[in-house]
Amino acid sequence: MRKILISTALLVIGAMATAEAAEEWGIEFEKKARVEAKVVDIACELSGNCPKNCGDGKRQLGLLMDDDKLVPVVKNFEAFTGATNDLIKYCSKRIVADGLMIDNPKMSMFALQFSKLAKGGKWTRANQFGKDWSKANGGKASGQWFRNDPRVIALIKKNGVFGIPGLKPPAE
Amino acid sequence: MDRRRLSLGLLATLSMGFAGLSGTSRAKAAVNKAIKPKRIQVTGEVVDTWCYITEIMFAQGTAHYQCAIWCALGGIPVSVLGKDGTVYMVLRVEDDDTSVANPKLITIQTNEVTVDGDHYVRDGVNYLMVNKIADNKGIINLTQEEYGIQPFGN
Repeated sequence: MRKILISTALLVIGAMATAEAAEEWGIEFEKKARVEAKVVDIACELSGNCPKNCGDGKRQLGLLMDDDKLVPVVKNFEAFTGATNDLIKYCSKRIVADGLMIDNPKMSMFALQFSKLAKGGKWTRANQFGKDWSKANGGKASGQWFRNDPRVIALIKKNGVFGIPGLKPPAE
Repeated sequence: MDRRRLSLGLLATLSMGFAGLSGTSRAKAAVNKAIKPKRIQVTGEVVDTWCYITEIMFAQGTAHYQCAIWCALGGIPVSVLGKDGTVYMVLRVEDDDTSVANPKLITIQTNEVTVDGDHYVRDGVNYLMVNKIADNKGIINLTQEEYGIQPFGN
């Protein structure tokens, strides 16, 4: 009976561990990565211009590794969204970031899928943008936020889908 | 009792002092590590960093305008794609040092611009603090005939 309980517990723990493991997206140069690093305001790190709280979510954030490597986190786990909303709560803190390290010769970058505080944190899926967007838009579902965002609608109405007013999609 | 209060007060003051010092130290550390930038002028198209670098779709010109707007508003970094193929991630535009869903960057998305800025290179990434948009030719890269509307066709 004890053996069964232990086996079940190990299976559950194993399932929980893999539940937060990054998935591959089929992008060239990607590597699944789980790294411990400090969340920093990139502009602050480069120039010494350091506003409070990493710019309160208005600045691009990065991971500063223990070997001093700085990697910008450019993507989260949602459609067409970055990771600032996911990371801002960790400003200047050490986290474990789970996702994809993309060492493209043109630019190294990290795509965040899960994160947690390094000390005693709980895994969180990197989908904070949608939650924040939904809250700011009367509770609307965020799955198609990019179609329903009032700023997108206004811009496309003004400039058209190609950015040039009057330029029509090619005839099928 | 008074002595205990005094001790606690002193401890709290010292803690706050250390916390303040810690914050100051972080800023100083950042300043100390700061790289000296190089003043450069770059001409190129304003692009979405993620779509362009990963090549998950065709990500230049009119075909990608709508998607580039989505990504910029979604907080993905915006870059300038130099004529030599170098991708410069923009961290500031003129007097505005924000770079997440920055309205100025969204307004010039997909435009062909010439910018003066401070160039930083660190760990395989080119960063640009734009001091001035010296020229803007608007959207001139007409790719929609060949690529339609990226990525969904509508």
